[in-house]
Amino acid sequence: MNLILRAQVATAAHDIVPSWPMESFIAVNPLAGHEPRPFETAAAPGVVLARSRDAYLADADRGRIVDTDLEAALAERVPELAGQLTIGGKSVSAVSVAILDMRITPWTSPVAAAPTAPWLDEYLAIWVSSYLNPDPLWAMPHKQHGFYQAWRTLARRDPSLPRTVRRTVAELPVEPDAALAWALVKLGVPADAVTETLRSELHHLPGWVGHIKWRAERIGDIDLLSYLGVRLTLRALLGLTRLTAPPGPTQADVTPPALWHRAEHVARSIGGGRADRDDIAAVSRILATHPVPDHALTWQQAYELHYRAALVDGLRDTDPFTPRPQLQLVMCIDPRSEGMRRHVEVLPEVETFGFAGFFGVPVRFSRYKARGAINSLPALLTARHHLTEHPTHSAQAENHTMRGRARDALRRSTHRADSGTVTPFAFAEVSGWLFGAISVLRTLTPTLQARIHRFLTPATATLPSNVTVADAFTLEERAAMAETAVRMMGITQFAPLVVLAGHASESMNNLYQSALDCGACGGNPGAANARASAAIFNAPDVRVLLAARGIDIPSDSFFIAAEHNTVTDAVTLLDQHLIPQSHVDAVHTFNRAQHTAAEILIRERAQDLPGASPHSPSRVQRRAHDWAEVYPELGLAGNAAMVIGPRRMTRGVNLDRRVFLHSYQTELDLDGAALETIMTAPLVVAQWINHQYYFSALNPATLGAGTKTIHNAVGTIGVLAGHTGDLRRGLPWQSVGLGDQLFHEPMRLTVIIQAPLDSIGRIVSRNQVLRNLLDNSWITLTARNDSAAPWHRYTPYGWTAAPTALKGT
Amino acid sequence: MNNLTQMTRLEVVVPARDAPAIRDLITSAGATGYTSVSGVSGIGHHGQHSGALLFNEYDTLTMLITVLPPNNAGELIDAVQELLSTSSGVMFVSDTYVSRPDYFR
Repeated sequence: MNLILRAQVATAAHDIVPSWPMESFIAVNPLAGHEPRPFETAAAPGVVLARSRDAYLADADRGRIVDTDLEAALAERVPELAGQLTIGGKSVSAVSVAILDMRITPWTSPVAAAPTAPWLDEYLAIWVSSYLNPDPLWAMPHKQHGFYQAWRTLARRDPSLPRTVRRTVAELPVEPDAALAWALVKLGVPADAVTETLRSELHHLPGWVGHIKWRAERIGDIDLLSYLGVRLTLRALLGLTRLTAPPGPTQADVTPPALWHRAEHVARSIGGGRADRDDIAAVSRILATHPVPDHALTWQQAYELHYRAALVDGLRDTDPFTPRPQLQLVMCIDPRSEGMRRHVEVLPEVETFGFAGFFGVPVRFSRYKARGAINSLPALLTARHHLTEHPTHSAQAENHTMRGRARDALRRSTHRADSGTVTPFAFAEVSGWLFGAISVLRTLTPTLQARIHRFLTPATATLPSNVTVADAFTLEERAAMAETAVRMMGITQFAPLVVLAGHASESMNNLYQSALDCGACGGNPGAANARASAAIFNAPDVRVLLAARGIDIPSDSFFIAAEHNTVTDAVTLLDQHLIPQSHVDAVHTFNRAQHTAAEILIRERAQDLPGASPHSPSRVQRRAHDWAEVYPELGLAGNAAMVIGPRRMTRGVNLDRRVFLHSYQTELDLDGAALETIMTAPLVVAQWINHQYYFSALNPATLGAGTKTIHNAVGTIGVLAGHTGDLRRGLPWQSVGLGDQLFHEPMRLTVIIQAPLDSIGRIVSRNQVLRNLLDNSWITLTARNDSAAPWHRYTPYGWTAAPTALKGT
Repeated sequence: MNNLTQMTRLEVVVPARDAPAIRDLITSAGATGYTSVSGVSGIGHHGQHSGALLFNEYDTLTMLITVLPPNNAGELIDAVQELLSTSSGVMFVSDTYVSRPDYFR
């Protein structure tokens, strides 16, 4: 083992962000490796950090960005811009001079183009894809020996390599460490340039490289050492030139005008012919503080400030809920929940809360007697507790299992007939008419086809069962989880019926289904966690422990799990066999309320959904079963902010399903422990999602996955655009745009907290993840001590008064 | 010293996301084991570090402790030093004594 070389590989790969597989799509900041440094230094090859000048000027024309936004942005970014000057006899402020410069001085963004794919990249993409494909028609031989050794054995017969290379491959070292060391010597890489050379190589095929890094840590069947071993060995054998340094940020194709010319242009625009040399010199001294390359992010900041100021201005402070609510609905912090909560709250007796969608119960979940399991917990945690189901009627469960096995056998035999070498011909002759008919049905009447399918193949979810939460966690653990949830949300009284609603998306033929499920549940549906949480809260022994800790849940309070389908907006109650007779009426009331809310919400959503009409909500719901639909829903498009505070700050305010809402009450969290948990977990997950959308929108060719319509799946690992090449990263274009226009407004997350500023400051100062995000401008934080206090903005130097509301659209 | 055998002890404190690379180096160096302590707190070059976080194991610090025979430790020390040259983390190296040396060879 060459330990130094292994350390150099790890150093070179340090900033690479692991890429999760498609089956549990985890939204990540693709530039997370840059978070310890300022946001504006994160530009990388093929990556832009802001929109084009034309886009910002168009926003300025329609009032989306106004001069006061630009003044506020300049005050934050260039604080030395102050005072007045006289140009051609006119008195103007330094800030207005800088704004005029921003409006008239041209600049172009670097083009975020997809990298070219040299032969070596194409070759390696094929080999890595073949090695990692979990369900290939023909399995790669020698896989058990690892990637490098499998390649070394097979490449001797690879006709795409020259004969001389094939002969030499047999003489290569057996171990990847030794092969990589041999290649570096052969390529003439000096010892002090090894890490930089490896880093340059890792910039190629970033999709596969990110996935290999994830896989090395989670599965261990491949690592970057063996990948680089193959890559550099090939480079040496083929005599390809080695890369000496990672490519720098893509340069703009137009050189910005010189400072004097900018100043002259601005001075003449203000003073006309009366502006003299001294005036131009004075203007140039101002403009020198705000060079043209900084303009893009000043525009971006103004764009964000406008939204933030309007959001803060719209927040309210309604009275606290004094009478006991008749119904409480707890939903995920996901922005899509905001619409449902707003419409259900039309009923005055309803109170709603926002909490991370895994309800504080991190589990690995498997259905009753099902193959496989899902990690239903945030990606920030490791699964340590296994949850499953125990059916309430064993005879019914046995029957269900037998039918399931029969269906499974039929499905597998169909798959084998379909994927064999010769059998597909006979299979098509025999059963082609049936599949043809199903295809026609699925295309023309997707809802009917879905109903037939559901009737013929009832899911395990319909089997009455209880989750085995008492087996997965000790009594003390369950009580601690319940207490944590109550303190984090700030629940002070409990309604007779408390609905805990996880969420899931439903769509057909959608490789990005997981991206639409619950992010707090690791890209999985949140029903299992909601069921587990409800079971914990209903357990009498847990309530006894909670009472000893000052949390009294009345004996008539019943918790029930539910699942919000974010495509159809139906909220389905789960485990209905557990509903006591005393709560049947309350359940009916909830069902009526959520049904009415869903009808209104789906019309509201239809206004934004491409091709949908508010007048035909059933067509929106039909998208859940339409296999040709590339916009089943808009997911978290538009996400821009997170509010941490009591719901009375936002109750009755239309936040357009753009805001993560986490309930929080300072009064129930005197030591700030709950706030620290919120700021270091739900906030971090929201930031990952926000940056995934941000960079997918701005860089669809490099950090986004491009259009769905040409995607091909590599098992459950990821997608390729076409039949080969790099694994695509990020979200597809259909998650952020339509045609050539964005519908997602790329803005860095605005975090708004109502809690003591001292407490927030202490939490930030002892958590490096928050210091990185806030001090380096990856997110912003606006806070106030309480509902009567003024808003303050967090800066690395302390709190300052937040800008006031701005005019415009 | 009381029939104890001298060994070299390495303690490495790194962000949890960097711990897999250190673990890989430790096992590659032939160490027969290591101890991993997650959620360590303290104050260092980058300021204060909170301890274990309730719902985030990813952004905490991890301390990895391993013990090797002195003649095997040199290359691992160099490798960890290389890794820490561009990322945050600290390494402490010290002599230690063990009662059952065969456990560490």
